[in-house]
Amino acid sequence: MAKRIKAGLIALGIGSAVAFGFFVDVVGRIQSMVNDTETADNPFTPPVEPLYAPTDPPMTVKLFFPPGAGPAGPAAGDVLLTTEDQTIFQSAELANRALQILQKLQEGPASPDMLPALPENTRVEELFISEDGIAIIDFTNTISTNHPGGILNEQATIYSVVNSITYNLPGIQQVKILIGGTEKETLAGHCMLLLPLAMDLSITDVTSPAEPPVQQLLQP
Amino acid sequence: MIERHWKRKRLAILMAALCAAIFVFGTRLRAAADDFPIYFPDSRIVVKSEALNRTTYLPIVDIIQNLGLPYTDALALETITIRSGASRLVATRNRALISINDQIVLLQNPILRESNRWLVPIEFLTQGLTRLTGTPFRYRAGAPRIFAGDVRAPELVMNAQDLGPVTRLTIRTGVPVNLDVQHDDQNNRAIVRIDQAPVDPLRERIDQKDRLVNSIVFDDTDGEPKIVLETTDEAGEIRVTPSDGNQLFFVDVLRRAAQITEAAPPANVPAPRIDAPSPERRVRVIVIDPGHGGMDSGTTGPAAAEKDLTLTMARRLRTVLQNQLGATVLLTRDSDIALDNEARSAVANNNQANVFVSLHVGYSANKTDSGASLFIMPDNFGGGAGTGEPPGGMFLPWYLGYRTNRQASSRIAALFQEELTKAVPGWRFPVRKAPLGVLASATMPAIVLEMGNVNNSTNSQTLMDNAFQSRIASALVSAIQRFSEPQTPAAN
Ligand SMILES: [Zn+2]
Repeated sequence: MAKRIKAGLIALGIGSAVAFGFFVDVVGRIQSMVNDTETADNPFTPPVEPLYAPTDPPMTVKLFFPPGAGPAGPAAGDVLLTTEDQTIFQSAELANRALQILQKLQEGPASPDMLPALPENTRVEELFISEDGIAIIDFTNTISTNHPGGILNEQATIYSVVNSITYNLPGIQQVKILIGGTEKETLAGHCMLLLPLAMDLSITDVTSPAEPPVQQLLQP
Repeated sequence: MIERHWKRKRLAILMAALCAAIFVFGTRLRAAADDFPIYFPDSRIVVKSEALNRTTYLPIVDIIQNLGLPYTDALALETITIRSGASRLVATRNRALISINDQIVLLQNPILRESNRWLVPIEFLTQGLTRLTGTPFRYRAGAPRIFAGDVRAPELVMNAQDLGPVTRLTIRTGVPVNLDVQHDDQNNRAIVRIDQAPVDPLRERIDQKDRLVNSIVFDDTDGEPKIVLETTDEAGEIRVTPSDGNQLFFVDVLRRAAQITEAAPPANVPAPRIDAPSPERRVRVIVIDPGHGGMDSGTTGPAAAEKDLTLTMARRLRTVLQNQLGATVLLTRDSDIALDNEARSAVANNNQANVFVSLHVGYSANKTDSGASLFIMPDNFGGGAGTGEPPGGMFLPWYLGYRTNRQASSRIAALFQEELTKAVPGWRFPVRKAPLGVLASATMPAIVLEMGNVNNSTNSQTLMDNAFQSRIASALVSAIQRFSEPQTPAAN
C-alpha cells in the first residue's frame, strides 16, 4: 500500500514538473509574440520580382570578362578583364538592375574570345544596396568551392563582378561580396573580401573613362 | 501514520520542484563553455563563451543585461532588438547582417539562437554594440577577452629563450607591476601572477618546448591575469629578476640540482651577421610564407598541389638565403598546416622582419600556359586617396599596415623583377597590384611571388627542380642585397 502511494506521488511529481515546464515555455512564447509589434519592420528587404517591367527602356551595359587563352590570355598579357556590350532594362529599382547585370555575368560571355568569370553553378542568393552606395552581394558557396584558384583567376572573378556593377550603375560605388550568407576572408585564399571593393580599371583594357557612365545612364 | 504520510508528500513535492527546475534550466547547463572576461573601466564580467563552427560565440543577453540595456526578444520573428537611448539594433537568427538605426552592418559570422540563448560572434560587440552604445568594444584577434570603453589595459609582451641550463621568460608590461611566482614542483606547474588587471597580452601563448619548459600560456579567464608555465621534471628553482623600474621581468627556470653560479645577465641580443650599409635598409630577418596548407590545398593540377610546391620552394629558399645573406630566415609554416592570412603576416610583424615574401603557384585552364607575377598592394586599398594619412589619425587599422612600406614594397618588387627576369630566361615577372590578404597587414616591404601553372605538368616539375630553385634563390639573394645597399639617387 505504502509503496503504491510512494510510486503514485513520484509519478504525480514528475507529471506536474513536465506540465510546469511546458507552461513556462508557452508563457514565454506568448510573451515574446506580444512584444513583436515594434520589431515588425524587417530591415532586410530583398528586391522584388520581376526584375524589370515591360515598359522599362533598354540600356547598354559593359560586362567585364576574362579574355580567352592564347597570346592575349591572362597568363601572357597584363589585361585580366576585357569587356562585352550587352543589354539590360532600366528597372526602377537599382537593385534590380544590379541583379540583371549579375544574371548576365552568370550566363557568361557571348563572344567566344572571352571566358566566363564566375565558376560553374554560381548563383546570387541575395543582394542589398546600402544607403552609402555599397552593393552587398551574397553568392552561393560554389563561387569558392568551384573556383580553380590562382591569384589572377581570383582577381578576375572578383573584379568582373565589382567592375560590371560599379561601371554601369553610378549609384553603386563599392561592392561587398558575401559567400554562403557570411563574410569570408578571401574567395580562394588570396584577394581580401573583408572590405567593400571599388572599381579597378587598371587590370582591364578599358583605358580612359572617356564615356562617363553617368551620361550613359542619363541617355533617353 | 498521518505524519509519515506527510513526510512522503513533502518528499514528492520537493522532487517535483527539482524536476521542474531541471526541466526549465537544464537546457542552459548543457553545452560545455569557456570563461571569457569582458573588462569595463571599473568592473568586469566573465561570461561563458562557446566555440561553434570554429568561431567564438558569446551570450549577448548576459552582456546587455550587465550594461543595463533594454531588449526585446521576438521569438516568432526570430529577432532580438536592443536599445540604447534613441538607438536601436536588430539582429536576426542565423543571419550575419544586423541593422543599427536601419543601417545594415555586416558581421563575419551569423547570429545564432541555441538552447534558448542568443549567441553572437565577437564582432557583434566590436562592430554592433560599439556603434549602438558609443562605447568602443576592443578585441584582439584570437584573444579570449574584450575591453570596453576607456579601460586601461597595458600591453603585455612575452618572449622565451632556451639558454641551455636556464629557460628565460621575458615579460614586458610597459607599466610598473609586481609579479608573484608560485611553483608547484609536484605537478610541474608554475603560476606567475600579475598584480595589474586587466592586461592586454600580444600573444596568448608561447610555443616554447625545451628541456625545462613544456608550455607558457597566458590565462585571465577568471579576470585575474597570470602566466602559467608547464615545466618538465628537470626544472628546479624559478627566479624572478625585475628590471627597468618593474616594467621588465626575467623569469628564469633553472635546471634542477644544476650548479649554476648566477643567471646570465639579461642581455642576449643576437648580433647582426651582415654589415648594415644604412640602418633603415639592413635586412636581418626575412620571413618566407609558403602559400596555403592543411585543408587549403590552393590550386591543384595533375602532378602537384600548390601547398606542397610552395613549402618545398620555401625550405629551399630558407637554406640559400640563410647561407648567402647571413640573415635569419623564418617560415610562416614548416609543415602541412592551414593558416589564415593575418596569421601569416603576423609572423613577419612579430619577428620584425625586414622583408616578407609570400610564395604561390598559379593556375591556367590552358595546360601549356606558364608564367609568373609579382604582386604588391594597390595604392588606395582600404579607402583614402592613396596618399596622406590613413583614416583614424594615430591609429592604423590592421588592414592598412601595408601603407607603412608602400614605396619600399614597390622598390623591392622592381628589384625582384629585374633579378628574376635575368635568372629565368623566357619568363616574364610583371609587377601587378591586387588586394591580397597576406600583404594587407604586413608592416615591412612585402610581396607575393606567384610562379608557374600548376595545371602544366612540366611546369610543376620545373618548380620542384633543384637547379631551378637555386636560380630563383640566387635571384632573390641579389635582389635583397641590392635592396640593402644605400640608394644613390641618379649617380653611378
Ligand atoms: Zn595561392
